[in-house]
Amino acid sequence: MSDDYKFDTLSLHAGQVPDAQHGSRAVPIHQTTSYVFRDTDHAAALYNMELGGHLYTRISNPTVAVLEARVAALDGGVAATATASGMAALSTAIMTICSSGDHIVASSRMYGANINLLENTLPRFGINTTFVAPDDLDAIENAIQPNTKIIFGEVIGNPGLDVMDVAAVAQIAAKAHVPLMLDCTFNTPWLLKPIALGANILIHSLTKWMGGHGIAIGGAVVDGGNFDWGKDDKFPTIAGPHYAMNSINFHEEFGPAAFTAKFRAEGMYNFGPSMAPTNAFHILQGLETLPLRMQRHMDNTAAMLEFLTNHDAVAWVKHPTLPSHPSHELVKRMLPKGAGSIIAFGLKGGRDAGKAFIEAVELASHLANVGDAKTLVIHPASTTHSHISAEAMIEGGLTDDMIRLSVGLEDIEDIKTDFKMGFRAAAKVTK
Amino acid sequence: MKHDLNGASIHIATGGLDFAEQHSAHNGKVLAFLHGSGQCHLTWIQQSRFFAHRGFAVLAPDFPGHGLSGGTPLTSITAQTDWLIDLLDSLGVEEAILAGHSQGVLVALDAAARYPGRVQRLALIAGALAIPVNDMLVEMSKSAPTKAFGMMTSWGHGPPAHKFDNNMPGHSHLGYGRRVMALNDDAALHADLVACNAYVDGGDAAASVTQPALCLIAAHDKMTPAKFGKQMAASIKGAELQMFERAGHFLPSELPLEVNSAILTFLTR
Repeated sequence: MSDDYKFDTLSLHAGQVPDAQHGSRAVPIHQTTSYVFRDTDHAAALYNMELGGHLYTRISNPTVAVLEARVAALDGGVAATATASGMAALSTAIMTICSSGDHIVASSRMYGANINLLENTLPRFGINTTFVAPDDLDAIENAIQPNTKIIFGEVIGNPGLDVMDVAAVAQIAAKAHVPLMLDCTFNTPWLLKPIALGANILIHSLTKWMGGHGIAIGGAVVDGGNFDWGKDDKFPTIAGPHYAMNSINFHEEFGPAAFTAKFRAEGMYNFGPSMAPTNAFHILQGLETLPLRMQRHMDNTAAMLEFLTNHDAVAWVKHPTLPSHPSHELVKRMLPKGAGSIIAFGLKGGRDAGKAFIEAVELASHLANVGDAKTLVIHPASTTHSHISAEAMIEGGLTDDMIRLSVGLEDIEDIKTDFKMGFRAAAKVTK
Repeated sequence: MKHDLNGASIHIATGGLDFAEQHSAHNGKVLAFLHGSGQCHLTWIQQSRFFAHRGFAVLAPDFPGHGLSGGTPLTSITAQTDWLIDLLDSLGVEEAILAGHSQGVLVALDAAARYPGRVQRLALIAGALAIPVNDMLVEMSKSAPTKAFGMMTSWGHGPPAHKFDNNMPGHSHLGYGRRVMALNDDAALHADLVACNAYVDGGDAAASVTQPALCLIAAHDKMTPAKFGKQMAASIKGAELQMFERAGHFLPSELPLEVNSAILTFLTR
C-alpha cells in the first residue's frame, strides 16, 4: 500500500484489521471491563504509558478504539478519543486544556447545552467565557485575553445555522496562540474537514449523522496535532510536568498527540466519560454508510428547501445554502457539498401554527435529536433551547415560531406529503 | 531534557527519568536511540519510556534542527556521527548501545566503524548499508516539503497502518507521522536525504563491525526493502536477523511490542 485509502474506503475499514485468531469481518464487541495482563511487567508498562494498549475500559477499549481510529482517519487527525456523549467530549476537552482562572472565547449562537456549560456551569469552576457572534471576526479577536485558552464555536450553528469561517478564525487563533476548538456535529467530515483549514481540536456528537440511526449516544474529540502546546508557558498542564507518572510532560513525550495523551491519561482516567463498547459498535455500523447517507441527506435537503421556500404556508426559511442566508457566499467556498440537513423555518401563524404542524405530521417524528436517518421536527424555543435566557435566544437568532427540521432519508415525495398535511392543520388554527 | 551542545539547545528524550541518575544507577548501560530522516525522538515513543524503566539510561536525542532541538541540520552521516560522539562526551558517557532507525542505522554503523570503543552493541532497525533516495523526493523535500512528508509517511507504513491499526488506542500512524515531520526545521528533511544519498561507506563500516548486532527488518518496507536489510545483516559478522511480516518501514511504532521484545532479549541475555 503506497497511497492513502480514500474517504469512502476509510468509512468502512479504518481502525480494523480482522484478528488473526477468529477472523471476524465485522468489528467484534469487546464487552469487557478489563484485560488480562501478560505479566506484572506488562501491567506496569501500560499504567506508565510506556506502551499503548488497553488496561481498563474506562480508559480505552478495543471496539471503541476502532471507532476512534475511524473518526481520526475521516477527519485527518493524529488521534481521536470517543466519549459517552458529545457533551462529555466537549466538557472533558475543556477540562484537559483549562484550569481555574482561564478564559474561553465562544460563539454566542450554539446548541443550548454548549451555551449552558460555558455560561452557567464552568464559571463555578473559575473558567469564564466571553460570547461573540461567530461571524464577527473583529469581535472574536478583540475578545481574546492573555488567559484565553480556547476559541470555541460550531462550524454550522445549532439551530440558527450560522456558519463559521473556519480558515479566518483559525488565523486569528494561531496569531494569538490559542487552540481553535470546533463542534463539528452538523458538518461531519464528509462535508468539511476543519483541521485542513487550521482548526486544532474537533468535537463530535456521534449520536447524530455519524451514527445516523438514533440508536446510540456517543461523542468524540479529534486531535489535529497541529497546535504547539510548548511554544510558550500558556499550557503548563500539557507542556509542563504533570502530577502523574513521575512528572510526565505530555508535549515532550507525545509531540503532536500531546492533547490526546493528556485527555486519555487524565480526562478518561479521572472524569470517566467512557463510551460503552456496544454503543461504539452501533455507531460504527452507521459510519460505514456515512458517505451514502450524507449524499442523500443533501439531496433531500435541497428538495425540501425548494418545497418550503415556494409554499404559501411558510413565512420564512433559513438554510446556509439559500441566497438569503448571510453565510451563503462563505458556504459556496467552504462547504461545496452542502451545508447540512437542518432547515429552520417558521409558519404563517407563528407559534400556534407551528405547534399544530408538529402535532399533525405523521411521518416526521417530533423528538429531541438531529441527524437521524428519519425526518425529525422540533420547536427549539420550548425544548432544546428552553434553558437559555431570553437574551441568549435573541442573540442566537432563535425566534418563538422557529421549527427545526432534520431532513431524513425517506422518499422525498412522502416527506412533502406529510408536510402538506401539517400545513393544512396549521392553517386551521390560524383562521 | 534540554542540553546545550555545540552552541545549540538540544532536546533529548530520556524516557521520563533523570538521565544522570539513570546513568549513575546503571553505569555502562546507556541506550541511545537514533532517529531517521525527517524524524525526531517521537519515533521512539514506545521505546524510550519502556527501556528507561527496564534498567537502561536512555538517550533519544533530536538531532540538530529536528523535533524540539535547535541548531542547523547536519548534512552528512559522518557529521551526525561526530555530533553523536560529542553528545556522549558532553554527558560523560564512555560507551553506549546504539539503536538506529533508517538513517539512524547509517549513523550507528558509521559510529561503530569509526569509534569502535564507544559502541557496545548495535540494534539496527529498518536499515541498509546504503539508503539511496530518488532525485524526485530529494527535490520535493526542498521545494514542497509538506508533500514529501505525506509521501514518505504513506510509503513508510505497512498495510495494517494504512487501515489505521494501532496499538495506541485511537491513534493514526499516518496523521501522526506527517505532523511529526512538520515539527522539524524546514531544511531538515532535505539535509537528511542528501546525507543518506551521499553515504557510501556502509559496506566497509559493516565489515568492520565487531560489536554484537541485531537487525530488525520488515516485509513491507518500501524505504529500505527487506532484501537490503538482509544484505546488511549478512555483512556484519555474527549479526542476528529478525523479519516482521506485518509492518513497513516504521517498525518502532508499527510493531512496538515485537520490536521491544526483540531488543530486550538481545540486550539482556
